[in-house]
Amino acid sequence: MAFSEDSGLHLAQIVDNINSGIWEYNINTRVIKWSVGFCIILGYEADEIECSYHLFFEQLLYHEDKLVFLNALNDQAPAKPIQIRLLTKSSGYHWFESTIKKHDDETGQVIYGSIININQYKQAELQCTHNDLLHAQTISIAKLGSWEVDAVTLDLTMSKQIYDIYELQNEIPLTLEEAISFFEPPYRDQIQNAVNNALEFCQPYDLELLFRTAKNNVIWVRAKGVPILNDYGKCITVRGIFQDIDNNKRKGLSLESSLNLLTDQNRRLQNFAYIVSHNLRSHTGNLQFMVNLYNETELIADRDEIFAHIKSISASLNATIENLNEIVKIQTEITNERSIIDFETLFVNIQSAIKSNIEARNAYIEYDFSQCPQINYIPAYMESILQNLLTNALKYSHPDREPVIKCYTLKERNHIYLIFEDNGIGIDLERYGNKIFGMYKTFHQNPDAKGIGLFITRNQVEALGGTIKVESAVNIGTKFTIRLT
Amino acid sequence: MIVEKYVVNTCIIDNNPVYVYGFKKIINLKGLSNHITHFSNGNEAIMHLKNPVNANNLPDVIFLDISMPVMDGWEFMKEYAEIKSQLGKKISIYMISSSIDASDIDRAKKIPDVIDYIFKPVDVNKLKEIFNSLRGISPAVS
Repeated sequence: MAFSEDSGLHLAQIVDNINSGIWEYNINTRVIKWSVGFCIILGYEADEIECSYHLFFEQLLYHEDKLVFLNALNDQAPAKPIQIRLLTKSSGYHWFESTIKKHDDETGQVIYGSIININQYKQAELQCTHNDLLHAQTISIAKLGSWEVDAVTLDLTMSKQIYDIYELQNEIPLTLEEAISFFEPPYRDQIQNAVNNALEFCQPYDLELLFRTAKNNVIWVRAKGVPILNDYGKCITVRGIFQDIDNNKRKGLSLESSLNLLTDQNRRLQNFAYIVSHNLRSHTGNLQFMVNLYNETELIADRDEIFAHIKSISASLNATIENLNEIVKIQTEITNERSIIDFETLFVNIQSAIKSNIEARNAYIEYDFSQCPQINYIPAYMESILQNLLTNALKYSHPDREPVIKCYTLKERNHIYLIFEDNGIGIDLERYGNKIFGMYKTFHQNPDAKGIGLFITRNQVEALGGTIKVESAVNIGTKFTIRLT
Repeated sequence: MIVEKYVVNTCIIDNNPVYVYGFKKIINLKGLSNHITHFSNGNEAIMHLKNPVNANNLPDVIFLDISMPVMDGWEFMKEYAEIKSQLGKKISIYMISSSIDASDIDRAKKIPDVIDYIFKPVDVNKLKEIFNSLRGISPAVS
């Protein structure tokens, strides 16, 4: 037995030095034994701590892990290793893993096991779990998902976040075609072509598109795809991200539209400032000219003549100021309340107001507002628009024929159009283009031409977000198409 | 008094009747020219210049407004560039406008046939200077 005695000691030596501990606990007697290695892995010398159940349970074992330990002791099934935290001598609690084995001897039920320090692995595992959580939260906050298309099979795989963006409950596999069908119709070709180009020509893409979710919400998404190549330069996979950018995109779009509006208003304001200075300057220039001339001559006849001109300048200056005032009024009236306007009632009123003018030219005026009899508009604007266009058509009627003027409304999709057609002298648009809507632009030698009416009409129409367009042929006639809303 | 070598044949193209009146009057009062023709837009002037009847009666100087109906000053200069070789006479052209817009001034200065751009209302001394130079008299003499 010497051999056995010797080898027993040797075994104990080995066991004490393998950086793991062995323990045994008798449930009935509540006696606990542990190996030297048990003390060492906790950072103690062999006899530095008392070997007692009380010390173990109350001082070494972390309070939150007591339940885990007790459950393992009482569990009848072959127990799995447990992970618990124990207090080390100098570096706080560490994670340990212990096996749990049970057997019965004459004194009762004995439980034993071996324990090792797994703190490093456990810390890494916890860190890893934490990182996963952070990652998942980040992409969830970014509303960002990833996907992949196999270039050969065209099989599509999508991350959970993409299903969330699609608002699909279950992560049922979608075909590429099905995935694309969620995009709004005008954008489908765009995404389909982008994917095709990525697969065939290895072209990456980055698009912002409108998308309709399974729950019928229309949102802006960013779809980005990058082809992954094999060693031969062929695309084997297209990989990409898919992101809900609705909030930002809509903010961007509204910013863009306010910018356009501002640019437009600024342009008009600049134009207005130019016009004001130009037109006032021409009058004041003339006035100054006449005053100088007055001083140059002594003849009464000359002076009378000059004074007559000064009077006429004064009248024109006044008229110009009134015109400018009318333009300023457009801007102040824009906040006036809109009301329902009946086209026919208003048009008939205007006709009777300028009856003598119509009769003098023997004009034939027809109207048809059946397509859209009413509109919600600023009354002063609508009255001014109709009157300006009607007097304009009369003013530029053809000398060789009686004027025929047609006025009607059209409703197309969400827009209401007002159309004015005449058979007047027309205008060479190739030459004058949209100058006809400019201020003080006159193109015919018509003594009545003041070059203010169409400028005001355009400003009124545009102030309410509409547009005005003109088509014309010299000696044939002119057609104005106004999109009111 | 300056002894006139010849009468300066003057042409004004402008649609503003007050300005035309004043311009004619000042030229008469100062005796700068006693031959003034007037057109109220560029097209009328081109028709006149092109008409062979007027071949011996072409202006020496044109005072051209910019903003006019039918054919404005810019369009007139384009047309003029095309017909000038057939006129057989060098005409001095001054653009005269109340526009102080830098882009108008630049544009005018880039037209080779335009001698100068003058702001309205035109200054009497400036006019004298122009007519003197047309008569070949240096400004210092006046």
